[in-house]
Amino acid sequence: MIQRTSKVKKLKDAISMIADGDKVAIGGSLIRRAPMALVREIARQRKRELTLYSWSAGMDYDLLIGAGCVKEAWSSYCGLFQFGMAMNFRRKVESEEVRFVDLSESCAKDKFRAAAFGQTFCVSKVPLHTSMMENPEFQSIIECPFTGEKYVAMEAYHPDVAIIHAHRADQYGNVQWKPIRMMDNECDILIAKSAKKVIVSVEKIVDESVIINNPTWTMLPKMYINAVVELPYGAHPNSCDTLYDFDLEHGRLYREYSQTPEKFKKYLEKYVYGCPEYEDYLNLCGGIETLSKISRDTLEVE
Amino acid sequence: MKYTLEELLAVEISRHIKDGEMGFVGVGTGGEAFIRAVGIPAVASRLAQLCHAPNYTIMFGPILDPVLDAESIPETNFEPDLIRWPCRSQITVEEALCIFKRGKMGIGFASGAQIDAYGNMNIVCVGEYKNPKVRLPGPLAQPDHAAHAKRVFAIQKHDCRTLVEKVDYISATGNQNREGLAGGGIAFVFTDLAVMDFNPDTDRMRLRSIHPGKTLKQIIENTGFELEIPEKVPFTQPSDDRDLELIRTRIDPSKKWLNAEITKEPATLEKNV
Repeated sequence: MIQRTSKVKKLKDAISMIADGDKVAIGGSLIRRAPMALVREIARQRKRELTLYSWSAGMDYDLLIGAGCVKEAWSSYCGLFQFGMAMNFRRKVESEEVRFVDLSESCAKDKFRAAAFGQTFCVSKVPLHTSMMENPEFQSIIECPFTGEKYVAMEAYHPDVAIIHAHRADQYGNVQWKPIRMMDNECDILIAKSAKKVIVSVEKIVDESVIINNPTWTMLPKMYINAVVELPYGAHPNSCDTLYDFDLEHGRLYREYSQTPEKFKKYLEKYVYGCPEYEDYLNLCGGIETLSKISRDTLEVE
Repeated sequence: MKYTLEELLAVEISRHIKDGEMGFVGVGTGGEAFIRAVGIPAVASRLAQLCHAPNYTIMFGPILDPVLDAESIPETNFEPDLIRWPCRSQITVEEALCIFKRGKMGIGFASGAQIDAYGNMNIVCVGEYKNPKVRLPGPLAQPDHAAHAKRVFAIQKHDCRTLVEKVDYISATGNQNREGLAGGGIAFVFTDLAVMDFNPDTDRMRLRSIHPGKTLKQIIENTGFELEIPEKVPFTQPSDDRDLELIRTRIDPSKKWLNAEITKEPATLEKNV
């Protein structure tokens, strides 16, 4: 019988789908469930001139900005949550090396949703009278043809690639999350659907039969997915829903390393450029056994 | 009973919460910022529910209508604990923001790096937007609150760097220019020194009450613009023993909210008022 095509890829090969100058949308929010292993590989492959889209960014943006991969970035937030300011972001926006476009959470989601729904633009009243309107992208005001109300028209996001982290998938790209999860990150589904190509990292690749037994867990069916990479703790040092907490120790270490550009270069050399294979990173962080201390739950059905 | 600044603010804010309405609190970051943005609104909300607003509903990011008594509050506000906080519903941020857009949000609790005489708020940058002196984390959902909530309650540090004549970036629209926006704008500003509201004739911030032990001189010196000061300004009503008892035994005995213990980066606004 003719075999179906597997979408399972090696980390390197998956990220090589991203070209310099691409618009890359990133899932997760704050320091929760960003696809950090995929993010580090983008930095390791020294991609340049990227434009980043997210609705609520954290260490993902900060690392890529600090590694010199970014020319422009859009989000409602870029910070390290309780670890404080994202220092690479702060430095490079203050020095105008990166153009940062601020928009409210709802506007960011509206722009992803529009693309996911196959539309070219969306409307919102939220930017009215705010400084968001200083950006040329928020200056076209239109009237509702039915009520005459004024709205700001916003172009849909059209990312070339979306990168997200999920709990499990089969080799064909049917992607699942456990039902008990952080609802903030449901936007990952819109983010994936907005993009031309989607790379997803998962905690575990499972047999198709596991997927078939729990079809309502499949939040992203295979037609949206181009590459699946199996990366246990792939969100580390971010948290991943109930599965594992964020790594407090690594968070503090990241905060320390990102205080100056010189120190951050050392972080990159050690945890990014110095880790050609994903296992190298896991080993640097103490290996799977040490990481299991941040585990809180399993992938099994409750 | 003696009370802390955090307790005074929580009790005062609870008095302004109406039965049957809904409030929104973000999930916050750490330390002092957490106390203002999350801890104080959380305690004020539960106190209001227990005392005069049993049908008031609170939303903490995706956690809608959680059980707010001490034994149900999660150990930490980290993701795995937050997800398991007992609540009546968990909703996506898209849905939460639709509640705002549909005009169903009563109070948006907010806090920023700057707030100006007209109630505009800023958490984006200090200095010019394109070439900022200090870049801050970004607007989050503040523009959404300001556009759609019936009332915004701001909880702010009281100094000249925070209370400025004009914000450097408007991430939340105040009361001066609201054409086309359905929300009611900013109602109150609660600080370490005082409570302020806005004069509907001028749209400018106006002193409403002075916290016990604080002086008018202190307030004027620590405000970066000309505050409207009515002829008679009362003191903020002190917290009574019943309220303090509820906060210390039933709502927040381990200071998860009022001293940010839940974030594992505890802090305090001020020892005693």
